[in-house]
Amino acid sequence: MALTTDNRSPTPPLLFAKRRRRLLVGRRGIAASVLSSAIILGAIVAVFWLAPGGATVRYFFFNPHQMWVAFVGNPAKGLSSVGVGLITNVWMCLVSEVLVLFFGLLIAWVRLSQSPVLYPFRVLSAMYTDVFRGIPILLVIFMVGFGLPELNIGFLSTQSPAVYGCAALTITYSAYVAEVFRAGVYSVPHGQLLAARSLGLTHTSTMRRVILPQAIRTVIPPLLNDFISLQKDTALVSLLGVIEATRAAQIYASSEFNFSGYVVASILFLLLTIPMTRFTDHLIARDRSKRLAGV
Amino acid sequence: MRSVRLVLAGVLGSSVLIGTLLTSGVAQGASTASALKACTTSIAAHEYAKGKLTVATDTPVYTPWFVNNKPSNAQGYESAVVYAIAKVLGVKSSNVKWVVEPFNSSYVPGTKKFDFDINEISYTADRAKAVTFSVSYYNVQQSIVALKTNPIVTKHSASQLKTYLYGDQIGTTGLAYININIKPTKTARVYSTLDEAVAALQSKQIDAIVIDTPSGQYMASAQILDKNKKAIATQVGQFPSVGEHYGLLFQKGSSLVGCINTAISTLTSNGTLAQLQKKWLGIYTSVPVIKP
Amino acid sequence: MEVVLELDDVVKRFGDNEVLRGVSLQLHRHEVVCLIGASGSGKSTLLRCANMLETIDAGSISLFGQSLEDDRIDPDLVRQHIGMVFQSFNLFPHLSVLENILIGPVHALKRRHSDVREEAMELLGRIGLQERANDYPDRLSGGQQQRVAIVRSLAMQPALLLLDEVTSALDPTLVGEVLDLLSDLAHSGTTMLIATHEMNFARDVANQVAYLDNGVLVEKGTPDEIFTNPRHESTRSFLERVR
Repeated sequence: MALTTDNRSPTPPLLFAKRRRRLLVGRRGIAASVLSSAIILGAIVAVFWLAPGGATVRYFFFNPHQMWVAFVGNPAKGLSSVGVGLITNVWMCLVSEVLVLFFGLLIAWVRLSQSPVLYPFRVLSAMYTDVFRGIPILLVIFMVGFGLPELNIGFLSTQSPAVYGCAALTITYSAYVAEVFRAGVYSVPHGQLLAARSLGLTHTSTMRRVILPQAIRTVIPPLLNDFISLQKDTALVSLLGVIEATRAAQIYASSEFNFSGYVVASILFLLLTIPMTRFTDHLIARDRSKRLAGV
Repeated sequence: MRSVRLVLAGVLGSSVLIGTLLTSGVAQGASTASALKACTTSIAAHEYAKGKLTVATDTPVYTPWFVNNKPSNAQGYESAVVYAIAKVLGVKSSNVKWVVEPFNSSYVPGTKKFDFDINEISYTADRAKAVTFSVSYYNVQQSIVALKTNPIVTKHSASQLKTYLYGDQIGTTGLAYININIKPTKTARVYSTLDEAVAALQSKQIDAIVIDTPSGQYMASAQILDKNKKAIATQVGQFPSVGEHYGLLFQKGSSLVGCINTAISTLTSNGTLAQLQKKWLGIYTSVPVIKP
Repeated sequence: MEVVLELDDVVKRFGDNEVLRGVSLQLHRHEVVCLIGASGSGKSTLLRCANMLETIDAGSISLFGQSLEDDRIDPDLVRQHIGMVFQSFNLFPHLSVLENILIGPVHALKRRHSDVREEAMELLGRIGLQERANDYPDRLSGGQQQRVAIVRSLAMQPALLLLDEVTSALDPTLVGEVLDLLSDLAHSGTTMLIATHEMNFARDVANQVAYLDNGVLVEKGTPDEIFTNPRHESTRSFLERVR
């Protein structure tokens, strides 16, 4: 058979979309979106309100009076404020994040180095990232928070549990962030490295002035992801006795037998993290539109 | 004649009175006894797992309440009490089944997968809204445990007590005692489990733990040791009673409580409980009392 | 004229694949040598071996008579004297056009920023892009980017320039401006080793043309010799295909 595209039958092909798809176009499409949203929202509300046990769920989890008491606390009854506890979560996150970015970059830098003198450090860095991405952060918090004080070694053993918590978070997250930076470096086009070295720039100069600036731009979305994750993991520091938002909610629950405190803590965390997630999405969309602009 | 009849009436009357009193006393004893007898037959119907008495406690559990973390060996005060209750209710000790329930989740409302929980759980009005308690099987006082090297050992006047950093397990009456009675200036640290609080005490992160006297005595003498197995903690003193007592914990509205209460009353009145307390908790009553 | 770059029986393997099979070549000062050959013939590899981006497996390469195989050689220093321009331009996207040109002299040669800036602007002037000095590369056309890339290499004042198919990725309408620049450079005496598919350009500008086939330098001669009177069969058939 000859190689030709003209094998079709003489009548023109059918080009109209099926009836159902036509309903989803234009104004009809918008109506479909609205209707679909209303149905789903209605279903969710129905489950909450009408399901057997709906009233119980609302009493135990979404009780406005209890939520308020949990939020402000009641020192006379030994109830810590969930709102005040959140301040602890926030400052622990900020301090840890700064340290994580610094150490993460340092570890990535060492792993990417080429000097023979740095060989043992390269090996140690690789082991570090393997070990601390592998151990659950809960265990790291225990070992640092209860272990270091036991060892009785000078100032390392006399810090507050919040400091140990930050240390544990920093140690763990630096391992992840180091790998994110390293992946970012590998994602920079190889031609950039060739061009920089061809100009006679040293490995260090090339990394510092050409590769890393581009790598960092690329990895900002995954770094923001890790930051959001870090904000939530500050709750684990409660294991060391620190009364932050989730522990305050727990104290409320154990005295009042109502879990509305947990809902308050969740809402507060969302107020912190949702702006960050939206911002990350915005950055990704902006970067995407720039990249695809010429296509 | 008349005086003889008066005397006879008096004798008759008083003997009837004494007789009534005696028999009512006996009847009371008999009514408890008959209630108990009724329980031995009816108990099976109220059990969570028919035919077995399902008893919950935490893990690990400590002396003097249990021994070697093995509730089924009938050693330790609480283990002994359970088997004593089983005995008076006619439940064979082989039909006593132990299950695990963490302390923190024992007193929350909801369906319980056991007949009752025994784990040094104090009666509080708040908890009683969520669960049902039996009558007391032990009256509790709180005490302070600290490292021997801590200043609290010598300086514990009421005002001095406020200056220390306390730590305790979440949701315990010990923690409540700290917050409500001691009212320290530094917020007490709150841990998920008692073990973590002990670890914090051992590493000098907190000054003291508040816990019931028997547990505190065991903790100080046998549990908190240095690497040469020497005790490094001490029980500084116990606080006056605030009416706190331990009860067995039941699902709210449990139909078994009546019989168990009957059993406990029986053991109290026939001296068994006092005997068990002397055997397992006797040495712990000589701890000095300090005021908050 | 002195020999700037000499390749002597150079062999380069990638795994089992022998990409350069004993290539020998000399580049004299002010000379322009064009490398022609099919894709995969080893032209790019040869250039990358010349500036030590790749290490060779046998033979030797010398720059100004100094063997690059000597342990004491510093590859960064070698590359400061050899400029390279790539098919995909490889301008640094996070730096402006001017900063792209400055980065080599300032950070590799450690020259003073103010001195280099003047020279850079002059170079930009030569290619008519002075007003674009503060623009970022993504705002320039392909031809403009490649000319900036060439100027970036020139700012290092290299002894020779290596050019690897620098017009192959360009829109045909933009090829001309780049070839014109290379032509100017050739006429002003720049020593260049150019891998190219542009036969007319090679004919006009080259002093010598070398034909590579499968890692072997089959034939080398003046443009006249190669294009009009190729001596080898493979050269002839190659030229037939690209005509």
